[in-house]
Amino acid sequence: MMDSGFDRRDFLKVMGWSGAAVALSGCGNTSIEDGKETLVSYVEAVDYQIPGVGVYYNSSCAQCDAGCSINGKVREGRVLKLEGNPASAINRGKMCGLGQAGVQHHYNPDRLREPLLRNGGSGETITWEKAYALISEKLKGVSGEEIAFLSGVVSGHLKVLLGNYLSSLGSKNHFVYEALAPGVVRAANKKAYGVEMPRYNISKAKVVLSFGADFLGAWVSPVHFSQQYAQFRKGVDGQRGVLIQVEPKMTLTGANADRWVPIRPGTEGILALGIINALGIATGDIAAAVKGYDKARVSKETGVPPGHIDKIAAILKLRSPSLVLAGGAAEGYAHGSQNAAAINLLNHVLGNVGKTVEASAAVPFPQMAPAKGNTAALKSLNDGLAEGKYKVLFNYAANPVFTAPGAMKFKDNMAKAGFKVAFAHYMDETALQADLVLPLESALEDWGTQVPEYMAEGAQINILQPLMENVHPNTRSIGDILLALLKQSRAEEYKNYEDFYAYLRSALVQNKAALGGHAMDEDAFWNETLTKGIIKLVGTTAALSGKAGISGLKLPAPAEIDEQYPLQLIPSVNISLRDGRHTNQPWLQESPDPLTTIVWDSWMEIHPKKAAELGIVEGDIVEITSRIGSIKTQAYLFPGIHPDAISVPIGQGHEAMGRYAKGYGVNPLKIMDAVFDRETGELAMHETRVKVSKTGQRVIVVKDESAAGAKQIREKIAGRVYTDNVDLTKEV
Amino acid sequence: MSISNLLENWSKFRHTHPVDDKPHDPYKWAMSIDLDACSGCNACSVACYAENNLPVVGKEKYAHGQVMHWMRIEHYWDEDVGEEGGREFPDQGAQFLPMMCQQCEAAPCETVCPVGATNHTEDGLNSQIYNRCIGSRYCSANCPYKVRYFNWFNYPTTDNVWPAEMVQQLNPDVTVRGKGVMEKCTFCVQRLRAAEVTAKSEGRLVHDGEVQTACQQACPTSAISFGNLVDQESRVHRQWRAQQVELDKDKQAKDDHEEPSELRGYRILENMRPYPSVMYLERVRESAI
Amino acid sequence: MHRFLRITVLLTGLFAAFSIYAAESQQSVPMTEDSLGPLVEQPIEFPHNRHAGDADKGGMQINCMYCHTYARRSAVAGIPPLQKCIGCHQSIESVRETPRIKKLFEYWEAKKAVPWKKVHDLPDFVRFNHERHIKRFIEQQNRPFQEVCGYCHGNVKEMTVARRSKGLTMGWCASCHQKDHTVVAEGGTPIGTQAYWYTFYKPEVEDASAGVLKAKGPNDCWRCHK
Repeated sequence: MMDSGFDRRDFLKVMGWSGAAVALSGCGNTSIEDGKETLVSYVEAVDYQIPGVGVYYNSSCAQCDAGCSINGKVREGRVLKLEGNPASAINRGKMCGLGQAGVQHHYNPDRLREPLLRNGGSGETITWEKAYALISEKLKGVSGEEIAFLSGVVSGHLKVLLGNYLSSLGSKNHFVYEALAPGVVRAANKKAYGVEMPRYNISKAKVVLSFGADFLGAWVSPVHFSQQYAQFRKGVDGQRGVLIQVEPKMTLTGANADRWVPIRPGTEGILALGIINALGIATGDIAAAVKGYDKARVSKETGVPPGHIDKIAAILKLRSPSLVLAGGAAEGYAHGSQNAAAINLLNHVLGNVGKTVEASAAVPFPQMAPAKGNTAALKSLNDGLAEGKYKVLFNYAANPVFTAPGAMKFKDNMAKAGFKVAFAHYMDETALQADLVLPLESALEDWGTQVPEYMAEGAQINILQPLMENVHPNTRSIGDILLALLKQSRAEEYKNYEDFYAYLRSALVQNKAALGGHAMDEDAFWNETLTKGIIKLVGTTAALSGKAGISGLKLPAPAEIDEQYPLQLIPSVNISLRDGRHTNQPWLQESPDPLTTIVWDSWMEIHPKKAAELGIVEGDIVEITSRIGSIKTQAYLFPGIHPDAISVPIGQGHEAMGRYAKGYGVNPLKIMDAVFDRETGELAMHETRVKVSKTGQRVIVVKDESAAGAKQIREKIAGRVYTDNVDLTKEV
Repeated sequence: MSISNLLENWSKFRHTHPVDDKPHDPYKWAMSIDLDACSGCNACSVACYAENNLPVVGKEKYAHGQVMHWMRIEHYWDEDVGEEGGREFPDQGAQFLPMMCQQCEAAPCETVCPVGATNHTEDGLNSQIYNRCIGSRYCSANCPYKVRYFNWFNYPTTDNVWPAEMVQQLNPDVTVRGKGVMEKCTFCVQRLRAAEVTAKSEGRLVHDGEVQTACQQACPTSAISFGNLVDQESRVHRQWRAQQVELDKDKQAKDDHEEPSELRGYRILENMRPYPSVMYLERVRESAI
Repeated sequence: MHRFLRITVLLTGLFAAFSIYAAESQQSVPMTEDSLGPLVEQPIEFPHNRHAGDADKGGMQINCMYCHTYARRSAVAGIPPLQKCIGCHQSIESVRETPRIKKLFEYWEAKKAVPWKKVHDLPDFVRFNHERHIKRFIEQQNRPFQEVCGYCHGNVKEMTVARRSKGLTMGWCASCHQKDHTVVAEGGTPIGTQAYWYTFYKPEVEDASAGVLKAKGPNDCWRCHK
């Protein structure tokens, strides 16, 4: 691929330099203007680098943790567009909108450019040397227990390096926090199947019954599941897959279901047991335990009509294998673990385990496996901070000041730490509270490895490599920073590694035999690895263990409606904004929410019946009040939500971060109660109760959809047929 | 092209029926979109923003209907839900429908352009020539699909849509449009032209699958297929043929059946006879649940 | 009403006549000397005549494609990388100390690109493809390089710093596509019999029985406009 004497960094530098001037062409010039534009040539060029022709580099997407592989189009030294890498089993050349917006993260005008020493509201630009010296100084005399490192999901060599750094400080306090992690489901899966995240084979299933798992939108690995979904719809053995979605608020997956079943929030587990009962195929203690869950009772408690329960049971019985998924809407309660366990039990009863719930593979290097994030970690960090246990706090790839529930008072607790360092891309809410802010390279400028949590086929290690030279010369790679910090105490051990690139290369090349490169020499292996962007491995497969057990499964009766706070708040997950870390990317702000088509703002979804009761119409500014506080946003009448619940999407309401994020919408997490799942200690996202009142103001909701047309026209435009006649397996 | 030429060849220029006795050859670019696979996730739309230098207009201009999404996802809900006397909940979500320029064979927009800025190409595209456009917006008014977008502002300069480094993301193969011109989906003509040129230099035709539109490439459910309708082996041709949808008809086989048939291919607003180049496949839903 | 119609007809007629006149006269513009581009000051005054000129005039007769190597592989011709200049000049001692070469080496040692000014600058909405033109005239028709490049770039081998000598307007482009260079559908290029139905010009059927068809070069708007 490349002449081995030619260092890639230098090469990128040359390209980047020329890129800057070329950038301006392509807009504005509408006549022949000789001698005005500058035409910057390459200083050195390689054969495949031809002006006017795109070169594609394989790398990995870092916009979420699904681990899709990307194929970056580079022209004249600048990256133009991110496309999917067809060789990846996870995304097979496909990309979601969020992933494609990675270029807007990279070129974002609000990115941090220089290290900042903050002093109250203002900041002072300092050099990297000074910043490192400052960290070293602040760490002096601080014991390992007094140091905490908060991060988002980390995997691969970065995780190894981070672990080494913490051990060099004598600290074990690595908190991995992921605001929207399926933490409860992982624990329930571990119990039911013996693994935290089995491989869900949607494409093999004839029926998918999903309890609030938004696998087409934002759940675990949406691009991968979307492809599986397309296959599932085409059918297995001539039978088209049927999707049934049970949830209190319609998600994107719910909107694609053959039957969307609204359910009283929190009663998912009861319905699952009711279905087991209706199936009548369970035996032994399971049959005994579900006996009480007869249709009448289940229907009364969940609000799902008895006819629906019959139909669901009938189709599950008739078409096998099926697949039952427990997702976000089922786990967000104090009894979330019970809900998830009851739902997983369905898979056992239906005999899906081993068929559509498969063992997943893991990379044979456990030290590189992802440090999975959850919200229990945030709680324990927050408690520690509140007690004043930590003197130095590091933060990387997490924004807890924005995403922690208001009841936790994270911002106040964070102030109790003496010295706070944030490694950040933007001046976000958490970076604003830090004393030292260090600017990071974007994922398109950085080196790294990634081990996805959800493996699609075998196991794989994703490679991140720079697609172009740094947009901001004074930003650094998180790997380089950690290495520099490590050298403060272990200079001798790491003296051979000039930078993170050298570390990464040597770590991978040393293991080339295990990574499929035993027949190659080092350079050939390295070049091949970079060219492909993925290292595919057979991986180690842990067999599914887990038994169908019902002991200890206790589902509480549905909660009584609170007189003062009668509604349940569902902080919903928007497929492009997720936990709000990407709100500053304008394509995502202007990408309409798939269900409401609202852009650039927050909204409150409320059922038209409830709205009529409260006298609310679309566009009314309403005040949503919980025990913690209140937020104000516009109302949107939406029949796809249970009347006992309202929903406000997460991701908006930034008070900092940048021009496209700050000041748009509200953050529902600000009024969230800190209620935890009893078993796992995970944050129960759906346990906050609120009341809604009108403020008297009204706005026009900015959205893409217009008033509905006549039914006749709709049928002509968006056709729908029923399965009786159609056999999709025959189609091209 | 001079005006004298234009006048001389007026009737050729203003043909209204696509393929009477003169079929397209060697290319006719066409698309088919499987609404059953489409999940409405909007990845196609973002891909279009990235490929075609679409400006992000911001909340205020969005509210004025000045959004520039060449590819948009339309929603169609069942009507009787949530209303007085109707069902309380929808059984199913909205029907999602990706909508972009349908590259009509007898395009209503072409005939009304006072300056000939939008016209038909030999490979069956509906071209939009920005430097010829004077911004009369007649074409948009006449478009039955409402997929033409007008530049009310000079987004790159006065609106600063691509501040600082963002300008480096712009695709040099696509013009950044100035104020006062109309724009629309081009079927990623820059990609088509590049593929055609490569093929021509190699003395062959463009293979099926050699060229993808940005939306097709991104689509996580592969709902979009695109290709050369003239090529009998192309996927898009086989899909059109399997659904018995023909380019030059205003009523397809599916509509002829009184009883529901196996066919689900149709084109939108066909009865208006624009002869669009995009076939949609109806969404399928399970009747047993 | 009648008077209104009369005036309308009259005005329309006048407008049309003027437009045709303007359009026709515009087409002749490129042929005059006025279309010469401005003299462009370059960071290094590159002597094209010395490199590409004929031997009897002291030129080295270097092929255009030796330096402008991208032209046959890409839509844009590009400017040769600095590496290319140095590749030869590091072994040409005789001119090493001349001011221009010294300046060249200064750029090289600083690893900085030379900020050349663009001389043949088409508007940004135009898609011109060098590769196609070279493939057709040089590779298929075997015409000499300097003639083919010269169609658009003029007689560069006698210039120092290149200067635009052709119009490069749309009318000028079309003048070739319309009049001089017919595309022949025999052998090699796959041009279907109906390929040009949608363009403004009817294909000239030369010998229908032999299947030889002559048509003009590509001229639907979207071939060249982007």
